[in-house]
Amino acid sequence: MATEVKPLFRAVSTSPRPLYQLLRCIDFAQRVHVQITEDGIRFAADNSRVMQGVAFLDKALFSAYTVNFPPSEDGETPDYPNFQIPLSTFLEVLQIFGSVDVAARAQKADQDPYRSNIRNYRPNAFSNHTLGIAGTCTLLYAEEGDPFKIILEESGTKTTAGLTTYLPEMPEDIPFDRNDLTFKIIMSSRTLFDCIAEIIPAGPVKLTITATKTSPFLTLSCAGDIGSSSVDFARGKDLLETFSINDRWSQAYKFDFIRHASEAMRIASKVSLRGDSQGVLSLQFMVDVEGGKRSFLDFRFVPFATHDDGDEDDVEAEEYD
Amino acid sequence: MAILTFTLSEEGVTAFRDALNCLSKFSEDVSIEARKDSFFLSTMNTSKSAYASFRFATNRFFGRYQYQATGQFQDKFYCSMYIRGLISLFRSRSGVESRGDVDKQTIIDRCDIAIEDGEGVKSRFIARIIFRNGLTATHRLPFEVSMPVHAKFNRQEALYHWSISSRTLKQLVDHFGPGTEYLEVNTDGDHVNFTCFSEKTISDDAVLKKPLHTSISVETDEFDDIDVEDKLQIVVSIKDIRAITQHAAITGNAIAARYSLPARPMQLSYASDAISCEFLIMTVGERGGNPAQRTKKARKGASSSNNHIPPHLEATSRRTSAAPSQTSAEIQRQQSEMPPPASSRQPSNPTPRLSAAKASASRIGAFDFRPSQRPPPPTLRSESLFVDDEAWEPVRDEDEDGDENARLEWDHSADPVSDLVNCW
Repeated sequence: MATEVKPLFRAVSTSPRPLYQLLRCIDFAQRVHVQITEDGIRFAADNSRVMQGVAFLDKALFSAYTVNFPPSEDGETPDYPNFQIPLSTFLEVLQIFGSVDVAARAQKADQDPYRSNIRNYRPNAFSNHTLGIAGTCTLLYAEEGDPFKIILEESGTKTTAGLTTYLPEMPEDIPFDRNDLTFKIIMSSRTLFDCIAEIIPAGPVKLTITATKTSPFLTLSCAGDIGSSSVDFARGKDLLETFSINDRWSQAYKFDFIRHASEAMRIASKVSLRGDSQGVLSLQFMVDVEGGKRSFLDFRFVPFATHDDGDEDDVEAEEYD
Repeated sequence: MAILTFTLSEEGVTAFRDALNCLSKFSEDVSIEARKDSFFLSTMNTSKSAYASFRFATNRFFGRYQYQATGQFQDKFYCSMYIRGLISLFRSRSGVESRGDVDKQTIIDRCDIAIEDGEGVKSRFIARIIFRNGLTATHRLPFEVSMPVHAKFNRQEALYHWSISSRTLKQLVDHFGPGTEYLEVNTDGDHVNFTCFSEKTISDDAVLKKPLHTSISVETDEFDDIDVEDKLQIVVSIKDIRAITQHAAITGNAIAARYSLPARPMQLSYASDAISCEFLIMTVGERGGNPAQRTKKARKGASSSNNHIPPHLEATSRRTSAAPSQTSAEIQRQQSEMPPPASSRQPSNPTPRLSAAKASASRIGAFDFRPSQRPPPPTLRSESLFVDDEAWEPVRDEDEDGDENARLEWDHSADPVSDLVNCW
């Protein structure tokens, strides 16, 4: 062990399940941009600069979290490490965790036929999971240019995975003007999930989100191959916890992009929908993770440009009548 | 302008979905026909060999039903729609993960349907689904105005009929394997045989070139009533029967079949509280030698020469299977009263059959539906599986005496097991 040079970043978690849950929500891009700060790690996925998903893993999610950034020249904010890693590989590695326990149990069952035949279906009181000594998952980034290492230790088995880090592309965040919001709605994330599920069978390409001051308040509508569908909150104003709106707002988004956020809608407890005057949509999800902690997922979407040509008018007219 | 508006309750949506699911097994499109006082869903398959229709009682099934006669639809409104679109609209919303968690379930409160057509109005089927939590979903599906094709059935021509509990029929149909294509129904004395088979070979390499050939023999007592020409072989598509029985079993009422001769249509019908269903399917098959002879039974337990015997206590299954509605306990009883093999029937080597029967008796719990293994002699059996045509002829029609012997009454001795042993 190199004791003299402290690694840039080291974090230990005893239960990487929340990490996996959160990161899976932004699994729509090949690589994610990783930025390590003193408060946590930020994973940002980006799709053609029109959709962005950010998962922020707060340091509270880890049982140990140490950073050791070299001070920058001007002595103020240090340079945060920035790099890219393949997200699907990272998720696969995280899934290894827990498999050792299963394998160990299978082995034990082989040796002990009594257990294998009769007690196999019962939760094992002595499994690592039940005892809460599920092993550890260590994330390690030793120095710039090094592989991003994931070290999983459980039941005496140690798995080390090194993910190649790529140079950051430095994608700009999708500009979202917090000071020029047209509307802000907070509601149960499950409701939004149901709305999306309701219109999926229509096979939509475009999803139009309309927020109005008066009934029906919020409408999601689309037109697909077998017809058009829309969901509104005309009778369900109670479902909207916070509802503030300055002006009628209506924008269309590519449905597939919104659908990428459906995993987040599923696991989150609350969602905040915001739209700015440019039409950028921001979805912020509040996820309750194990141990009463909260994490946030942030999605931003750029709308379709609004210069309607003839045949689209046709579709729109049907949606809004 | 809305030509037709109606409201479905939550149960109505479920019933609609069941009907559409059944229709989707026949065709991709469904025809809707609505009048002032009736509402039909019907479809005919592409080969025009099967027709299905559901009639909804407008006053009982719908919460509200209003027909507005206009323009070309003075008398009735009709259109054709893509079934998949409708099914997804009426699909069940309660997902697996949210089950048990009432707060998370999206329960349909009601569903308002409006059909709009006319000049200057788009032809749309508009369903407004109102959920209990306050969400409102509006779906607009296009439709095509086209006259539905109805199949006609001449009831006068259909001399033969039977009716049976739909659940019993479904249990029978459940036994037929997935690779099979046809279902043959024939009668033989006081039994009705359902035989499921396929004409196509699976692969040339396999030893068994044809998939499972399953035959179930059902006593006429299982039927509510039956009047069929003896040895009339009627063959229909098992796929259609499966679709029908699946839906019929949901309603749980008796299903009635009417038919005449092979190559003439067969009508299957059943009704529940507010829905009546009718299916017409084409038949093929062969007629037996003796048209005058009929298998008849008016109502359960009536007019049979031995009607003092409760139906279950007869030694039922002579050949391959017993009716599945019998419980294993009953089957055990039957086992115990199984007579010694009639000597006229099986003069050659009785020993293997005895041992076979004993073996099966010991495994009775595991093989409920094949309780009394009294396989026909090896030659007969192999023929019936691999050689066609006369294999489906009743195997032992000549020995009526043997049948009489088989119909023993329940022996009231206490221990069926010892009985069993004594018997053999």
